[in-house]
Amino acid sequence: MAPIVKISNLDKYFGLLHVLKDVSIEVQPREVVCLIGRSGSGKSTLLRCINFLEDPSRGVIEVDGIRVEIHNGTTREHRQAVHDIRLRTGMVFQEFNLFPHMSVLENVIEGPVTVKGMDRKQAIELAEQNLDSVGLLFKKDEYPNRLSGGQKQRVAIARALTMQPRVMLFDEPTSALDPELIGEVLNVMQKVAKDGMTMLVVTHEMGFAREVADRVLVMADGQIIEEAKPDVLFSQPQDPRTKALIERYRSGER
Amino acid sequence: MSAIMHSDPALQKTHAELLYEAQLRKSRQFNVWVSATWGGLFLILVYLFSGQSILGIRTISLNLEFMQKNLSFIAGGVWQTLLVSFLSISMAIVLALIAALGRLSKFPPFYALSTFYVSLIRGTPLYLQIFFFFLALPQLGIVLTGLFAGVIALGLNYGAYMSEIFRAGLASVGRGQREAAMALGMTPWQTMKRIILPQALRFAIPPIGNDFIAMTKDSALVSATGFVHEIMWRATRVGRAQFNNLEALIMAAVFYWLMTIILTYVQSIIEARLAKGDR
Repeated sequence: MAPIVKISNLDKYFGLLHVLKDVSIEVQPREVVCLIGRSGSGKSTLLRCINFLEDPSRGVIEVDGIRVEIHNGTTREHRQAVHDIRLRTGMVFQEFNLFPHMSVLENVIEGPVTVKGMDRKQAIELAEQNLDSVGLLFKKDEYPNRLSGGQKQRVAIARALTMQPRVMLFDEPTSALDPELIGEVLNVMQKVAKDGMTMLVVTHEMGFAREVADRVLVMADGQIIEEAKPDVLFSQPQDPRTKALIERYRSGER
Repeated sequence: MSAIMHSDPALQKTHAELLYEAQLRKSRQFNVWVSATWGGLFLILVYLFSGQSILGIRTISLNLEFMQKNLSFIAGGVWQTLLVSFLSISMAIVLALIAALGRLSKFPPFYALSTFYVSLIRGTPLYLQIFFFFLALPQLGIVLTGLFAGVIALGLNYGAYMSEIFRAGLASVGRGQREAAMALGMTPWQTMKRIILPQALRFAIPPIGNDFIAMTKDSALVSATGFVHEIMWRATRVGRAQFNNLEALIMAAVFYWLMTIILTYVQSIIEARLAKGDR
């Protein structure tokens, strides 16, 4: 099967800092891939390069047949391709980033109506379906400041899903949450995975990686140092850095 | 132990209530004292201009007949003052927003234009700017009416100062908001219009209110052109003509003060309403 996400030889510099070093990954349709690694290993940057929230320095990014080769300067074709990739990817942020001046429902229909030009009625119908599936339809007229962190993140997931993306990108979706609210968000993510969504998840939640991921990628120093099915990775880690990571998780530290 | 546990909640409640009442009493007392002192100060001020002589102190006596005769004339300037202020603040808001966007722009000419404008206007007196538009431009063949010259000068001047307000407002919208909009596929223009500006404007409304109130008083400078019949112009006109400047200026001061009190009150209502729907 052709991969739905294909990243080839990606480099990223922040100033003089080399944060992604010749990274290549492939994600198959309906696959759930977790990216783990210590803070500063480059996993969030890699994720954010896929929908060009960060501009990669070099390499090729391909999402659902849209191919962007990175070179200096932006042409119209380049901008159009970036836009097309953003339409095909949904993003969930660590800090939720709901729009505070819009109600929950307005947050969720904003993308489809403004960007896709979808009919408002149709967008509301779709939004209500997705809000229902994250269990928050009853909050549709509330403003984000009235929601708990877990509820905000579930709304953010519904907002991303309502754009009907081909791939969902999660950037440490539970790292800003109180411990007792993490479960509800992970449950929703598991449900999204079960519905067959392709997912790329940057996370510190080893339990989630272990249970839900089809494949786990371990990053360190801007490179992917190990990649395996979760049961293999957690029972027989190869790289000493992976071992240390899993050791710390086992000892209850994150 | 159990006996204490039983009686405790009731006791605690009354104790808390007592504390709360004491707190309320204290803040009420504070307000009463503030009002009383305001009243006292106001009475002293009125007394100073009453013309009465008590305890051997002679106070200032005003020509009440003059004041009565010219009250409606000076009051007629309120409308002009508000008109000048309203037109100028509208112009200032537009300019300030453009200047703030320029200040945040990565396009060098736009950035330079914005900082140049702000530097030039903030580096020269408002009084000079008003005269420039009214007296200096005619030399170049551009003749503006007093109202027009005043509004342009005030608008340009306040626009430069207010650009800081909008800059702070735009900066108050977190990077995450922009990223969320970009991730949804919004264009930069859509992001600005739908996500950033609504949040920035809300942030900017209270300081805009402050500037509007300040402007109702700075608009007095426009009287210098001699062709805008606002409060200050009317006061100096009748004051000079009949050598009753004292009375005329006191009346003008009262009108400005009243206007400020009313506008401040209106602003506090708007702010309270904004705070209610706060994030």
